[in-house]
Parts: sequence; C-alpha cells; structure tokens
Amino acid sequence: MNWVTISLSAATLFGMAVVISYILGWASKAFYVKVDPRIEAIIEALPGANCGGCGFVGCADYAEGVVLSGAAVNRCPVGGAACAASVAAIMGIEVDESYPQRPIVHCGAHYEDRKGRTPYFGEMTCQAANMVAGVQACTYGCLGFGDCTRACKYDAIHVIDGLATVDYDKCIGCGACGSVCPRNIITITPFKKSRILAVGCSNKDAGREVMAVCEVGCIGCKACAKKSELFKIEDNLPTIDYEHWDAECTLDVMEACEKCPRNRLIFVGEPSPADIAATKDKPLPEVVEADFKTTVDDTEWRG
Amino acid sequence: MFSYLIDIFLIGVVAALINNFVLYYFVGICPFVGVSRKISTAFGMGCAVIFVISIAALISWTITTFVLMPGAPLTRWVAAHFMTPEAAAGVDLTILSYIVYIFAIASSVQFVEMYVRKFFPPLYKALGVYLPLITTNCAILFACLIIMSKIVGVDNPADAWDLGRGLTLAVGGGIGFTIAIVIMAGIREELDLCDVPKPFQGAAITLIVAGILAMGFMGFTGVDSGLRKAMMPAPAVAAQAQTAPAADGTGANQ
Repeated sequence: MNWVTISLSAATLFGMAVVISYILGWASKAFYVKVDPRIEAIIEALPGANCGGCGFVGCADYAEGVVLSGAAVNRCPVGGAACAASVAAIMGIEVDESYPQRPIVHCGAHYEDRKGRTPYFGEMTCQAANMVAGVQACTYGCLGFGDCTRACKYDAIHVIDGLATVDYDKCIGCGACGSVCPRNIITITPFKKSRILAVGCSNKDAGREVMAVCEVGCIGCKACAKKSELFKIEDNLPTIDYEHWDAECTLDVMEACEKCPRNRLIFVGEPSPADIAATKDKPLPEVVEADFKTTVDDTEWRG
Repeated sequence: MFSYLIDIFLIGVVAALINNFVLYYFVGICPFVGVSRKISTAFGMGCAVIFVISIAALISWTITTFVLMPGAPLTRWVAAHFMTPEAAAGVDLTILSYIVYIFAIASSVQFVEMYVRKFFPPLYKALGVYLPLITTNCAILFACLIIMSKIVGVDNPADAWDLGRGLTLAVGGGIGFTIAIVIMAGIREELDLCDVPKPFQGAAITLIVAGILAMGFMGFTGVDSGLRKAMMPAPAVAAQAQTAPAADGTGANQ
C-alpha cells in the first residue's frame, strides 16, 4: 500500500460520492411525489400497532384512508378516544362519540355442559375440527381448540374449561379473534358501558334440539322478550337492541335475566366492583392454560 | 459466437438452478426466511431482487472493469495524468470492492425506489418495505463479488467475463432466488396448517425445510456438464460416441 493506491482510492470514492449524490439529488426532485402532509401527521398521531382493527391493512393505510377517502377518524381501537381526538384535530373536524370495540363470545357452554362430544384425533385447531362432522353435537358452539388464543397478539383470550373467554383488561379490540373463529361466535361489539349484556349462545335450532346437545344453550322460549322490549327473538335466539338501552329499562332487563331458564343472558366486560370485592381474597392462577379436555384421549396427536 | 451463446445459457442455468444463491451458497437467507410467508409477497420480493441484482451487476461490472481491476483504464489514465507514469503501471483498487459495491447497490436501490414510486405507484405499494430491504441483501453483493472474481482473478485476459456474462449471472441468480423463495412460500403456506412439534415451530422448521430443499437442489449437480456435452458442436459428439459403449445406445443420442 503506497501513497498512489491511497490517493487513488480516495479519489475513486470521492468521485463516486459526487456522481451518485448528483444523480440521487436530481432524481429526488425529478421523481418527487406529492404526499399530503396530513397523512404523515396522522401516521405520527396513530399508535402504530398495525393491528388491522380499523379495517385497513395498517396504520399508514388507515391514515391514507382518513385523508383520501374520508374514513371515520375514530376507528382506531388501540388509540381510543384520545387518538381519535388528535386525528380529528389534524383533519379539522369534530369527532363523533366512539365506543371501544370489544369481542363477545356468544357461547356459554363449558366442557361439562356440552353433550355428544366424540373423540377427535385430527389437527388440534377449530378450523380443522369444524370441517369434521360430529366433533360435538352442537354445531354452533365453541369448539375450544383455541384458534382465537393463537390469533390474539395481546394475550387477551384464553380457552378456559373448553370455552373461549376474553380478558377484557388486556383486550384492545383489534378483532383478530373474531375473524379466525370458524363458527363466527365471536362478534366485535361497541361497548357503551364497561359491562354489557350479551346473549351467550349461538344455537339457532329449536328448543328440543338445543336441549339434546347442550346443558345451557338458549331454547328460544321468549321469556326475555315478554319482559322487556329490548329483546327480539330471531331464529330462536334473542337479539338485544343496544340503541334503546337506557337506565329506565334496566329493571325489566334484570327481571328478564332472572326469568331466563338457561341463564343465557350474561353480562360481559370488565368485572363489576361487586365481583372484584367478592374474589379479592382468592389467589390468582399463575398461568391460565388452554385446556384440551375436548378429546377423550389424553395423548395429543402429533402427525 | 455459438459457443458464446452456450456459455451464456449455461451461466444462467448454473446460477438459477445448480449453484442457486440461496440453496447452494446459502446467501440471502434473511429475506428467504422473512418474506416467504405468502406466495404473492414472495414472488414480489423475487421480482424486486431480479430487478435490483441486474442493475447492481451492471454497475459493478462497469466499475470493476474501468476503475477497480489491476490496470483498469480509467484509474490508469488518472494516475498517468496526475501522478507519475510509473504509478500508472501498478494501479490496483480491488481492495475497495466491498465498499464500492455496497455504495453502488444502496444508491441504485434508492434510485429505483424513487423511480418506481413516481411512475409505478401500484408496484411501489406492492413491494412496500421489501425494496429498501434489498439494499442489505447479501445475495446482491455476492453476485457482484462473483462477477469481480471472474474479471480480476483470471490468468488469461481473454477469459475475463464481459457485461453479457455478468448480467446473465445476475438475472439467473435472481431467477434462482425467486424460484427458491416461491417454493419455500408454497411449503410454508402448507406448513401453517400442520401440527409442528413445539421446539420446531417458527424459524426452526423453516430452516430445516430450507436444508431439505437444498438437498433437493443438489439433484441438479452435474446438469451443466451434461448440457455442455449435449450442446457442443459435432466434433465433441463424435469424440463422445467413440468413448461411449456403442451397444446400449444411450450415449449416442446426446
């Protein structure tokens, strides 16, 4: 290595730097693409979880959607109201009232409540089990193989005693669990209150058939509909009219809950103070594990 | 001329199948593992690699031939005019190869990104984050280094690769990368539905599958010499026919 090589190397790199920076500088002007500054501002304001809960591919796509195609500013489930307010400020519009979106599992049957389960030796996923006839007699209810648990990035849904159960403290409402459930029993619902009433069953069959397959399933007896106008029976299942829910009808609703012979009108969401007080002395389990009692055989199938 | 075409064809086949960058040399593994989750994105990544690797090969061949290699004309001219004639005789800047290639690759990726963003917005959206990712893809640098070794290290100057050979290697290597990553994506799409034992889940099973795939590609070994024999002009065939046993007739139809 002599001074000739050193100076030639320096000259080469310098020359390349000059040429390339000239070309790139020219290209960045010649190929400049105008981007709305509001898009970048909104990307900054969003939490950047890229969860897809808003219905767009990612946060950047949602920001583009807000600016270009007028998507609602309050669709980000992770950011919540504060995020919606800042996005609305960037767009210069008023924010509509928004509710957190949370999943509700429309099934209440734990393992022991389900009748007619047969041994299943296939893939341990709901997706696979759903394709096989006769895994369990109820063709609407939770299969309990935990597809939703695996889909959740926030550790907020677990199969407890064979039934998918949402941990509303951890849930951010991205909707991943609802989209993977092959039986569509998880719906994403706007929570107007921290605890809301839900129908914990999806079985659309007539009462006699439901009784044959499940200990707790809704038999479509219309007892709730007689007590309160909030309930409408469709396909042997009650639906709840959340729009007209107010303090006045609460008494009727509570009566309807008591009348329900199967206790299928359940409150879901964050626990009430009374529930917390009742369980505050109980030890917390360290790990809540998915419980695959859903097969008769204890050995797990490994293909 | 004919033998040159055979050469070009064989360089392409060898780079794409036999000495596949990913499955033979195991370079470019990070996009191979990272982007092979879906066939559509894997194919997009493959196309982006073909595109960038060709540009990188073009630039690196030019720079190596005119600036870096011992006795390169441009460097020689600079040395002769601004230094002493003795200095011009001994110019050799091959020590700069890595930094210059990375420089060239990074800036060409930058340029391509701006160009695609302006004129092909859908393609830009489809490629997304993969285009800048290619900057650090070692397969590209590897192609540049192979091309350099074919220009700089050769004994006979007439054997040094020209631009056509270099570009063929790059395009063939890019196609090989695309083949490998699309096959891998197809396997991984199936793998998602399988019950993989816990210790093997994720990257582990992916690398095991890559290894098995590499063994599969070992089956191509020797195809190039067979092809060369098959395509060589008549004298080679005649010479082969003499050596091959005449009775079974398998050697004659090559």
